[in-house]
Amino acid sequence: MSATTTDIAVPRRPGVLKLILRDPGAAVAAAFALAIVLAAVFAPWLAPTDPFDNDLSKAMQPPGSEGLPLGGDTQGRDMITRLLFGLRVTLLMGVAAVAAGGSVGAMLGFVAAFYKRLDGIIMRLMDVLLSFPAILFGLAIAAIFGPGLFSVVLALSIATVPLMARIVRGAALVVMQQDYIEAARAQGMSDARLIRRHLAPNCLSPIFVFATLRFGQVILLGSALSFLGLGAQPPIAELGAMASEGRNFLFFAPHIAVIPSVVIFAVVLAFNVLGDALRDALDPRLRV
Amino acid sequence: MRKILGSFLLAAAAAMPAGDAAAQSAPRDTLVVMREIDADRYDPHRSTARGAGEIIYMMSDTLVSLDWDMRTVRPGLAERWEVSPDGKTYTFHLRRDVTFCDGRPMTADDVVYSISRWVDPATRSPVRWRAGPVKEIRARDPHTVEYELTEPYGELLYQLTLFFASVIDRNTVERLGQNFGVQGFNGTGPYCWTSWTPRQEMVLTRHPTYSWGPPIYQNPRPQVERVIWRVIPEANTRLAAIQTGQADVTQYIPHIAVQQLRNVPTVRMSQQPNYFWDHFMGFKVDKPVMNDPQVRRAINLAVNRDAIVRATWFGNAAPADAYLNPNVTGFDAQAAELVPQYNPDEARRVLDAAGWTMGPDGVRVKNGERASFLVYGLQTAEARRYLEAIQADLRRVGIEMRVQLWDATVGWGRLATQEFDAFVMSYPYISATDGFSLYFDSANRPTPNRMNWNDPRTDELLRQARTALSEADRLAAIAQAQRQIAEANVWLPLARESLWVASAQRVQGARAHGIYGVALYKGLDIRLTR
Repeated sequence: MSATTTDIAVPRRPGVLKLILRDPGAAVAAAFALAIVLAAVFAPWLAPTDPFDNDLSKAMQPPGSEGLPLGGDTQGRDMITRLLFGLRVTLLMGVAAVAAGGSVGAMLGFVAAFYKRLDGIIMRLMDVLLSFPAILFGLAIAAIFGPGLFSVVLALSIATVPLMARIVRGAALVVMQQDYIEAARAQGMSDARLIRRHLAPNCLSPIFVFATLRFGQVILLGSALSFLGLGAQPPIAELGAMASEGRNFLFFAPHIAVIPSVVIFAVVLAFNVLGDALRDALDPRLRV
Repeated sequence: MRKILGSFLLAAAAAMPAGDAAAQSAPRDTLVVMREIDADRYDPHRSTARGAGEIIYMMSDTLVSLDWDMRTVRPGLAERWEVSPDGKTYTFHLRRDVTFCDGRPMTADDVVYSISRWVDPATRSPVRWRAGPVKEIRARDPHTVEYELTEPYGELLYQLTLFFASVIDRNTVERLGQNFGVQGFNGTGPYCWTSWTPRQEMVLTRHPTYSWGPPIYQNPRPQVERVIWRVIPEANTRLAAIQTGQADVTQYIPHIAVQQLRNVPTVRMSQQPNYFWDHFMGFKVDKPVMNDPQVRRAINLAVNRDAIVRATWFGNAAPADAYLNPNVTGFDAQAAELVPQYNPDEARRVLDAAGWTMGPDGVRVKNGERASFLVYGLQTAEARRYLEAIQADLRRVGIEMRVQLWDATVGWGRLATQEFDAFVMSYPYISATDGFSLYFDSANRPTPNRMNWNDPRTDELLRQARTALSEADRLAAIAQAQRQIAEANVWLPLARESLWVASAQRVQGARAHGIYGVALYKGLDIRLTR
């Protein structure tokens, strides 16, 4: 048999990053997200003051006061410092919830797609979980374990599980019909290995896209829970809690509520735009 | 794009939940009162909330009433009364012109029924003890009630001014059963129950024949046809409503707005200088770290009360430099001097001397134990603010305070447990003996004596303060109790709230009273000018 290979010049597929950066909106969002992550990681070095040390004589100083470019909060602490540390807690909360909820959800999704017998049970269970709003989970968990970051992360993780499971199952079902899965099966590959080597890697793009989008939502939900007083307890800085603290002074010192709210808005927007761009870049159907 | 817009709206909603100020300017005969929360029911013997009290005071009357000075007991349903020489029997002579809202005349039997229902263990009133050691309450004739005690109880008349001692109609109670105060009410007050939409509004209508108001008012009769108590949870909405005249009266003014409102020409402000509603932190004296009196003393020394109170209440509260308000009956000035005042250097010295040495993480250690404690409280804007400030002050002297704030729905349950080391709370009281008996009597463990303060000497002093026949003896005993508690630093007294009532331009005669935290009390002098 003569091995004949036809040389068709396939244009090299551009990298995901390149695809994202093609869209100016997405490029800005990506840059902003990166800046936010860096600011959060290096908060202890960037922050001008100690995040917990108060000075009540500077309480509620407006932005632009001496030594306080963004003003002081109700305890007279520098808003910039509180924002940096708040960002840190907020992002960490988002990462933890998406990682924990996402991995459990993805696992369940693979299992449901792979084992037809379990599919019905798992997915009905997910439907039950989906019927509870995340805020309700937060309230219930805070009532059991007490308000705090742990409760918030747990509630958001649980709320993420069914969403991730649905998406992963859908993606996995498509992959399951591919010939290479049949081939691998014919080779006698074990189920676990099959999932790990062939199924999971081919479902990665929807997982990434969803995780990015979910990250934005989780931050918003987490901030909402903190705003209700279920999240970060004093003196921990958290964006939602900061906004909540300032709510009582909207007429008197609006910056205390407005600045953290704007930051929440910007972070959520950035990750949503990034997630959309990521989907456009990774979804083959949308590729021209 | 829809997702982006959605997330923006959600973010905006999370940042500033606008209240629903649907209130329109009410007609001339209708007074709209705003409040923060509703009560679960309006049964004087089953509710202890201020939210229940503010409406029960309008719908019913008590045997005696309390004057604006918060000291003098005045006639109510009883026009006069006598106390027997042994201090055990109080004889109340009732007015003869009193009727219930349904028109039935009120007699001594109704008083006997109401007080008996209050003290009946089957009613399970949480404040039964306030009625004193009741032996028997009987009607000598249709207009005379004898209130007999097993031992003297100097606080009785004060306690009988509280809304728990309200006279209610037996027939209505029996007809409604568990739903008394939920589906209806029948009292002798200036206003009658008309309708209640829980968590929205309570509508009351003028009691047509009412003319037996307490003598502390200029008018013995109500001046307004209808009163609507509207629940507006959001402070900024209340603030806007009172300034625009959408609502008429409120006592629930955000602290930061009080000074501003005083400068608004369309808003009238009335203050009650004799208002006894205090905030404090209590220490569980049998828990590790908290069981060291020197730590409790150091905490008292380390906290800059003046600055914290200013930053939390913006001049709308006074720093509590003692356990009680100096204007209250039974206050002891000598005990007040024993309460440590702000001196962080002294706090550090006290801790050093007690063997608490600074650890590597900035928290002191003694015998391997960190100077760290957990404080519980209810989730309020004030608690969060002052706790954060206290936290910072304590950190400076090497004490770590961990904070856990609970939503009121689960908070009261958590505050009854032993899982925390300290707690913050605020409470109303009418006398020194009232406040101290509530919190420091060992019989009141685990709540409200959440400090687990268990000292036979205190118990004995409190007993004397309640039962001694002469006023001098009672005052001496309660003074001694105050000194003992102050020396042991069982609390960190924080703040004394001020009471203000804001009323819109068309309202006259809205004066702040403040009994049990209730500002309007009977509200008899309130008139609407347009």
